[in-house]
This record gives sequence, C-alpha cells and structure tokens, in this order.
Amino acid sequence: MDYKYLNNMLSEMDKDLSSKGMSRRDAMKLAGISGAGLFMGATDVSAMEKDQLPLKKSGVDAKIVIVGGGLAGMSTAARLTLNLKNPNITVIEPEKLSVSYQPGQTLVAAGIWDIDDIKYDRDDFVPTGTKVIEDRVIDFDPTNNQVTTAKGQVIDYDYLIVATGLQLDFERLEGLEEAGRAFSAGDNSRLHKAIGDDGICSIYTAEGAEKTWEQMQKYIEKAKNAKDGKKVQFLFTHPSTPIKCGGAPKKIMYLANARLKEAGARDNAELTFYPNGGAMFGVPEYHDAIHGQFKREGFKWHYRHNLVGVDKARKVAIFDAKWQEKGPFDPIMKDFEVISKHERKEVPYDFLHITPAAVAPREVGESDIGSAKGWVPVNKETLQHVKFNNVFSLGDIAQVPMGKTGGSIRKQYKVLVDNLIAQMEGKKLPSKYAGYTVCPLITDIGTVMLAEFDWTVKPTPSFPLDPTVERWIFWLMKVYALKPMTMYGMLAGKA
Amino acid sequence: MQVKFEFAIYDETLDKFELDDKVYLFELDEEQTQTYNLLKDKDLHLYNWFKESDFFLNWIKEEIYPDDIGKKIVLCDVNDITFRGYYFFKVTSADTFYEYFKKLFKIHHETDWQDREEVGEQILEQLMVKRQELIIELKEEEKENDA
Repeated sequence: MDYKYLNNMLSEMDKDLSSKGMSRRDAMKLAGISGAGLFMGATDVSAMEKDQLPLKKSGVDAKIVIVGGGLAGMSTAARLTLNLKNPNITVIEPEKLSVSYQPGQTLVAAGIWDIDDIKYDRDDFVPTGTKVIEDRVIDFDPTNNQVTTAKGQVIDYDYLIVATGLQLDFERLEGLEEAGRAFSAGDNSRLHKAIGDDGICSIYTAEGAEKTWEQMQKYIEKAKNAKDGKKVQFLFTHPSTPIKCGGAPKKIMYLANARLKEAGARDNAELTFYPNGGAMFGVPEYHDAIHGQFKREGFKWHYRHNLVGVDKARKVAIFDAKWQEKGPFDPIMKDFEVISKHERKEVPYDFLHITPAAVAPREVGESDIGSAKGWVPVNKETLQHVKFNNVFSLGDIAQVPMGKTGGSIRKQYKVLVDNLIAQMEGKKLPSKYAGYTVCPLITDIGTVMLAEFDWTVKPTPSFPLDPTVERWIFWLMKVYALKPMTMYGMLAGKA
Repeated sequence: MQVKFEFAIYDETLDKFELDDKVYLFELDEEQTQTYNLLKDKDLHLYNWFKESDFFLNWIKEEIYPDDIGKKIVLCDVNDITFRGYYFFKVTSADTFYEYFKKLFKIHHETDWQDREEVGEQILEQLMVKRQELIIELKEEEKENDA
C-alpha cells in the first residue's frame, strides 16, 4: 500500500478542512462516520485490513482466466488471490493504463485534477500469483472453454470471468463516423482527431477529459468577453443506452456552471441538458432534488432528445426529439392509446459535451457469451452466466441493471469471488448482489449529493444524513477519499 | 353483495383473447362479501381468490359457460377492478397500463433512457408468462375413482 500517497492526500484534505475551520475528526462527526470511516485514510485502510476476518482460504485448484484488467478484473484477481491457497489466475488485458481512475475524469475535465492524478499503471496492481497477458481477446469459445487473443494465442480455462468493460460508440453519430468506437483507456487518437478542437468534447476518456477542460476554458473566455448580448451555448447530452455512471453527464454541466460563475461569465452563457430519457434520475427522490438544483442554477433542459449527429462545420447538434400524442380510443382497454412521435431537431452549439452511447465490444456481443444486446447475460444476483456455469461477469459488461459504476463493482467483485469459489467447490452459490450503486453527483465545486440506491429504486444512504442534500463533506469524500479507497482498497481486494 | 363480471375467452390455437361482451352478475353471500372487501384493493389477490374458489368455478361452469367445458377463460373486470391490461396490452396502450406494468415488473431506472416501444416489448414479454398463470381452465368435474 502506498502510504506516502495516502498521507499526501490526507494532508491536502486537512488543508481544505482547516480553511473551513474544521479538523478531520469534526468532519467525520459531521458526516456521521465513526470508527473505521473513510476519512481516516491511511490509518483506516490499515485498520480495515486488521479488521478483516481471518481468511479461510480454499484449497480448490483450477485455472481462472479474467478477460479485462480494469478495476473490475484486477480487483477480482486480487480478492481471488486472498481466498485461494494456490491461485492460478491469468488476466488478459492489452492496455498498460487499464486501472486508471475513471471517476476522476470529471475532475480533470473541470481543471480540478491533472490527468496525471488519474493515470495508473496496471502492472503496479498485479497481485502475487496472477499472470498478465498483454493482449486482447477477440474470440470466446465457452463450449470448449477457450479464448483466442489478437496475437493468436488460444488460452484454455476452467473458469472464465468476463470484465472487458464497454465501448464508447461515437461512430453511430452522423458526422463523427470516423471517430470509431473507443475504450476509456488506451490510444484514442482516432476519436480525438475526429472530434477536433472546435467546441466538441467528451469526458469519457482520460484524454477527452483533459481536452474538455481546454474547450471549457476557451468558451468560458468567450462568454466572459461576450458583448453583443448573445449567450454562449453550452449543450450537454445523455444518450439512449445505459452508460457508465448515469450522473456524469450532469456532473460536467454543474462543473462548467461553477467555472462560468467563478469567471463572472455565467450571465453570458446558456447551459442546456438534452437527455434521451424523461427524467433527471431514475430514483424519484434524486430526480426531484436535481430538478430543484437545475431550476436554482438557471439551467434549461429538454427531455427525450437523443443526439444522433453533429454538423461540425455549422456547429449544430442534431437530435432525434420524441414526444407522445393522444391516439384513438381503445374500446377494449376503455382508454385512449398513446402514439409515439419523433422528429429531427437541429440545435446550434458553441460548446457541446457528448455522452456517447455505450455498447458491448463486438467480440463479446457477437460471441456465444453475449446476449442479443451484446452484454454478458448473468443472473443479476449471483453474476453467474445464464448458460455457462463456469463463466461469471461483472462491471460494465455484465447485463446487470444499474451496474455500470465503480460503486457497483465494489459490491459485485466480492459477490463474484464468493460465488465462483463455491462453484469451484461444487457448493450452492452463497452471495447475492442487491443492485447497490452510488453516484457522487458533483453539483458545484465544493458540493456533492451522494446518490446511493439499489434495485428497490429508493435512496439507500450509507450515512445518517438526508441523501438529497448537497454537502461539502461529500465533496471531500469524492475528491480525497474515494480514490485511495479504490486504488489501495479495492485493487488490493479488500475494500 | 352483487358483483359484475366480464370475461375473455382464450383461443389456444391463436394464442389470443376474445372479449365476451356480456356482463354477468353474481350475488356474494356475507362471508364472501367480507373476503371480497378484504381483497378488492390487492390486485391479483382478488383474482386468485375467485380463480381458486369452488363457488365461483361452479357458477361459471353451470351458469355462464355450461357448453364450453374444456375452454380456457380469464377474468376481465370485477365491478370496477380491471384486469384487461393483462390480456390486451399493446405498446400503444394508455399510460395507466404502461406505468402499472412498468412498476409491476420492476422496469424502473434502466428504462429512463429507453423508448416506449422497447419498454412495451419488455412488458409484453413478461406478460406472456403472467397470462398463463391467470387462465382458468373449465375442466369437467373430477369423479372419484371407485375402483
């Protein structure tokens, strides 16, 4: 564990706290955290390790292959090594920076963190007993328990864990066909070349986050110098597919707003949100809270607008706008039908933040382990594949509702390890994932609404505080505590 | 207490329900009325109570569909309580049915970004299973085996 890093982080947090006249202990009290709370940082991570029950390692032997060495894959590898006497684990991952801290991309995009704050080398997080093959799986053959890599290696397994993550489908947008599909990590030069540097940006890759900050500054400057009364148009989109962290498209909007206010340029800018859906958030309590925040900040929004294209030359975003009309009377149902309508709508932009559609990589979607929609179909509670008992999946690629956040992975990887070992031992699968996920929704520089929920679609707060209230204490948690917990807790298989 | 019933008949070959346009009246006794009042706000509990009750099945077989033994029927409306959505739901059906089934089948958060068509298809998929549970078979009385 990198105690030096943690101590640096904690001293930064202490400076932030003391500027508000508080100690770390006061902050903990305010957040209702006691004992082994997150804010104790280094001290607490070690306490967490000591508090772990003595591990009863399983002696079962089997070859486990993990496809994907991101947060989900590497955390699972680490936890397996803690729970198996003789781990035989192979991770197949082509990208060196696959474990980079993606939740920090929003902060990079707003100039709060640097790109180096989120870049992490996969090889620094490889658990003992785990072998890494630097290659990409291009074919899954679950019938013969084999995967094939791009370099032509055929790798056998007894048990397979699919944690490839998802792809960002920019190429489906008219005008951005040449952008192709991208992973969050890796070489995305093709994407960034296609996007250009004339107001279009996307925080969904690390470089994209950095470019977002460049573009944001450019258009804040434009707003600052606007003299003709014409407002600079900032547009933010949310697509028609599930995405990584459903709150992120709004977080970047809030942060652009914060930076505009800070620059004294807010009055010369108009911020508009175009979500494909018909609500701000799937949980009514959080929807209401966000709705209030949007009104307070003077944001505009248009529901049921799906971005389908961009005319870069004219700086116009093209949406498929949907609405419903009252249809004919249905005498059997004794009610009027509802007819869906849609039309193309062009909206001029100065700054356009694109949240791309998220899709399963083709090698997964088009193989036997993928579903019709591409995702890996698993029992949403046990994370075991619905057809192949020796295949499990987690993270962004697993077909699990609301499961595409680091917070979900933090729950899923422990469930998966428990269940995989039980399967290996021929026992009943003991653990269940209940759908928990968390979205620390940044609403300003210095405030966060910690939206936690699960499949009950009700807020499930971890702290004894109203979860719909924006708090500075959760900002501290987002900016200072969650990264060490992820990088040194989860990736060690412990948090 | 008098209860109004409306039924639909299931055509197995077409896998389709046809509405019986007639309204049938049945008089519940005191005990049955109490049960009815207890269950009337509890969705399918009321349905299942009728489905499982001999007095109700005998009434249908003897008075409503005496010539239709072997057929399969479903309850459409019981007084003002409607179960029609289970058999006649369409993707374009009114919001009341759409929202009701979205909630019943727990199609929540993930569907905020989905089109009505896609959610509607998901509802129909789930309804295929549910419908089978609701079908009432008009079987002949099982006779004691004296042998």
